[in-house]
Amino acid sequence: MQLLELSKKYGIAVITISLFLILSLTTEGFFTERNIRNLLDQQSTILIAASFMTIVIISGNFDISISAIFVVAPLFALNIENATGNILLSVIGGVSLGVILGSFNALVVTYFKVNSFIATLATSFMFFGFGYLISDRSLMRPVTDSYQQIARTKFLDITSATWIAIIVVILASILLTRTRFGRNVFATGGNQEAARLAGINVPQVQAITFILLGAAAALAGIVNSSRSISAQPSDDFSFVFAVLTAVIVGGTSIMGGKGAIWRTVAAAFFLAFMNNGFNLLQVDPLWQRIILGLVIVIAVALDSWSQRKNV
Amino acid sequence: MGRLNITEKNTKALVTFQNVSKSFGATKALIDCNVDFKKGEIHSLVGENGAGKSTLGKIILGAYKLDSGKTYVDGEEVSINSPGQAVKIGLVGISQELSLLSSRTVVDNIAMGREITSGMFVSSKKTKEKVLSVMKHFNLFVNPDAIVGSLSVAEQQKVEILRALNSNARLIVFDEPTARLASNETEQLHSLVKSLADNGTTIVYISHFLDEVLTISNRVTLLRNGKLIRTNLAKDETKKSLIEGMTGKEEGNLFPSIKLIDESSETVLKVENLTRKNEYQDISFEIKKGEIVGLAGLVGSGRSELAHTIFGDKKPDNGAISFCGKKITQSKVSNSINLGMAMVPESRRTQGLFLARSLIENISLPYLGKFLSIYGLDKKQERNTVNEICNKTTVKHSGIDFEVQYLSGGNQQKILFARAAMGKPKLLIADEPTRGVDIGAKKSIYELIAKLSDVGESVLLVSSEIEEIIGMSNRVLVMSRGRLSAQLIGTDINKKTIMEAAFKYN
Repeated sequence: MQLLELSKKYGIAVITISLFLILSLTTEGFFTERNIRNLLDQQSTILIAASFMTIVIISGNFDISISAIFVVAPLFALNIENATGNILLSVIGGVSLGVILGSFNALVVTYFKVNSFIATLATSFMFFGFGYLISDRSLMRPVTDSYQQIARTKFLDITSATWIAIIVVILASILLTRTRFGRNVFATGGNQEAARLAGINVPQVQAITFILLGAAAALAGIVNSSRSISAQPSDDFSFVFAVLTAVIVGGTSIMGGKGAIWRTVAAAFFLAFMNNGFNLLQVDPLWQRIILGLVIVIAVALDSWSQRKNV
Repeated sequence: MGRLNITEKNTKALVTFQNVSKSFGATKALIDCNVDFKKGEIHSLVGENGAGKSTLGKIILGAYKLDSGKTYVDGEEVSINSPGQAVKIGLVGISQELSLLSSRTVVDNIAMGREITSGMFVSSKKTKEKVLSVMKHFNLFVNPDAIVGSLSVAEQQKVEILRALNSNARLIVFDEPTARLASNETEQLHSLVKSLADNGTTIVYISHFLDEVLTISNRVTLLRNGKLIRTNLAKDETKKSLIEGMTGKEEGNLFPSIKLIDESSETVLKVENLTRKNEYQDISFEIKKGEIVGLAGLVGSGRSELAHTIFGDKKPDNGAISFCGKKITQSKVSNSINLGMAMVPESRRTQGLFLARSLIENISLPYLGKFLSIYGLDKKQERNTVNEICNKTTVKHSGIDFEVQYLSGGNQQKILFARAAMGKPKLLIADEPTRGVDIGAKKSIYELIAKLSDVGESVLLVSSEIEEIIGMSNRVLVMSRGRLSAQLIGTDINKKTIMEAAFKYN
C-alpha cells in the first residue's frame, strides 16, 4: 500500500527527471541552454491554463471552453490595443473577458446544474462565435511594437512568458494547498454532500474555480498572441486537449477530490521532453502520436486501478 | 418479538467449506474455517466488524477466490471463481446497498439478464408472465410496472429477492438486510425469509442485530478475527453468549451512566411549530443544556429531515427555531456551525467523510477559520489541534496524514465525532451515530456522547435502535408519520411506549 501511495505521489516526478537525464546524456542538442529555454517558453501557455484546470478538475468539474477563451480573449485584447494603443488596458480587457466568460460557465454549471462537460462544450461554440464576431472573421495584428513585449521581454535571460507562467503556477499552488479555499476545493470534489454538511458553499467554490480558469485561459491566449504577434479566430479545440493531457498524466483524478498542481507541471514537462526528444531524434510524428496516446491511457488506467484498490 | 417456531433442520448440506482461508495483503480475513449450510436452513453469521462474516458471505457468492481450502456443493467438490458461476449454481446475494436500476421497471429489474427471447428479440410479454409466475409461486408481490426508484427501500429489497428467486436461487446471502428498514418492515422481511426457507431455499443471514439473529435462525456461526469460534443451534445461544463470543470477553454494561438534567438548566434549542410540507408537521420541543434527547421513530417518519432542518441544511416552511435564545432567521449550514451546532450525519461514507483525504483535512474542514494567518493556513497549529482532538475522541490511527479510507468503520465514525468536537459545539446532532460499527466502537461512541453531556454540551440523538435511545437519553421524542407522537421521560422510557408512539399515526 505504501509503495503504491508513494509511486502515485512522486512517480511522475521520478519519470520526468529520468527522462530529462536520459535525453541529456544520449541526445545531442537536448541539454543546451537554447533548447531548454525554448522548452520553457513553449510550455508557458499550457502551464498557465493547466494550473487552474487542475483546480477545476479537483473540484469535480471539467472545462472544455478554455480553447475558445484562449482564442477569443487575445482578439478582444487586440481590439482594445488597436483602438487605444494601450497595452496595459488591452491585457486587463482581455483577462476581464476571460473572467466574464468563466462566470458564464459557472452560471450554467452551478445555477442551472448542467453537467460541466456538456455545458462548456456548448459555451465553447458560443465563445468561438464571439471570436469571429469581434475580429470580423480575419487575422488581427497589434498596431504597437510593445504588444509583442508582453511575452518576449527577457529578464535574467528568460522570457516574460516563462516568468508569467512561473508566477501563475506558484499562485495557483498556494491557493490550492495553503488556503481555506483550496481545502474547500478538495472537499467539494471529494464528496459534495459531505462538503455541504460541513458548511461549505459548494456552488460558490465551483463558480470561483471556473472564473479563475477563465482568467487564466485568457491570459494564456494573450501571451500566445503576443508571441506570434497576431491572433486569429478559429474553431480550434487543440489547446484544451494539450492542457487536459498534462493534468491527467499528472495523476489528477478525473473523479475529482485528488490531485496536485506540481504534478501537472511535472507532467507538462514530461510531455514536452518526450516531444522534444522525438523531434531531436527525428522520430516519425506518426509514432509520436501513438506513443502520446498510449501514455495517456496508461496514466488514466493507473488512476482507475488505484481507485479500485481502495474499495 | 416472540421466537418463531424453529428447530434444527435435518437435511443435507447444500454448501460445505473445508479449511478455507482468505487473506487481503497482510490481513487474514478468514483462517481455516469449516462450516456447512444445510438445505432450507436459516444460518446466521455473527461477529464484530472485520470478524470475517462478510468475507465468508462473499466467498459463497464467488466474489473472492479462496487462498486455500475446499468447497463442496451437493457433496461434490467445486471451485467457485466468479459471481457469474455462483449464480449458475444457484448462490445469490442480497447486498446491503441494493444494486438495482432505479429508472427501470420492477419487471426489467427482476428479469435482468434472464429476459425471455423469441428469436433475437426480447419478448416483454413472456418475460412479464415469467416474473408474475415467480411472484405467485412465492406469494411475494410488487407492482410489476412500477419504476424501482419510486419504491420504498423495503419494496426495493423485495425486488432484489424476486430477482434472486427468478434466477432459481438455492441459497441466498442476506448481508445486513434490515439495516435500512423500519421495524415493521423488518418483521415482514423475517416472515418472508422464513417462508423461503420452508420452501427449501438456504438462507445465509449476516446481521449486527443479535435479537433478530436469535429470532429467525436455525443455526448461528460465530466469527472473531477471521476465526470460526463455533457453530451452534440458535436455541442454545443467548444474546449474552453471542456478545461474549464475539468480543471474547465478558460483557460489561454497554451504556455509560447518563447525568440527570436539572429542570432549571437553560434552554439551548427551542423548536416551535416547525413544519416542512410532506416531511413533518407542527413539531415543538426544547433541549436543555447538557441534555441528551433521543429522537426515535420509524425510517421515513421525518426524523432525519427534522434534524437536517435544525442544522440549517433544509429550510422549514413554517415555524421557528431558536438557538441559545436567539431566533435563527437564515437556513444555512455555515451559519449553524458558527452559532455552535455540529452534526454527525446518517451515512458516514456519503454524507460525512472525504475518504481519499487525510484525517487532518477531514477533521478540521469546517473550522479552518480558526487557523487563518497572513501566510495562509497555519498548518502547525492545525496539526497540534487535530492531534489533541484525536486523542480526546479516542480515534485509533497511524498518523493524521493517512487517508481515512484505511480506517475501520468505528474509527471513521469517530473521525466525525472528532470533527464535531473541533467546534466545541453547544448542540451536537448525531444521526444514527453507531450504524454499522462493532460493539467495541459502539461502547466508546456512547462514552463520547456521555462525556459531551458531562461538560454541558447538548445532544440530539437520532436513532433507529431502540436500545440505544433508551440507554442514552434523558428524554425521548418519538415521531410518527411526520408528527411528534410522544415525549417521554424517566420510567416512561421503555420499548413498549416508544414502539406504540412510533406506530401511533400509522
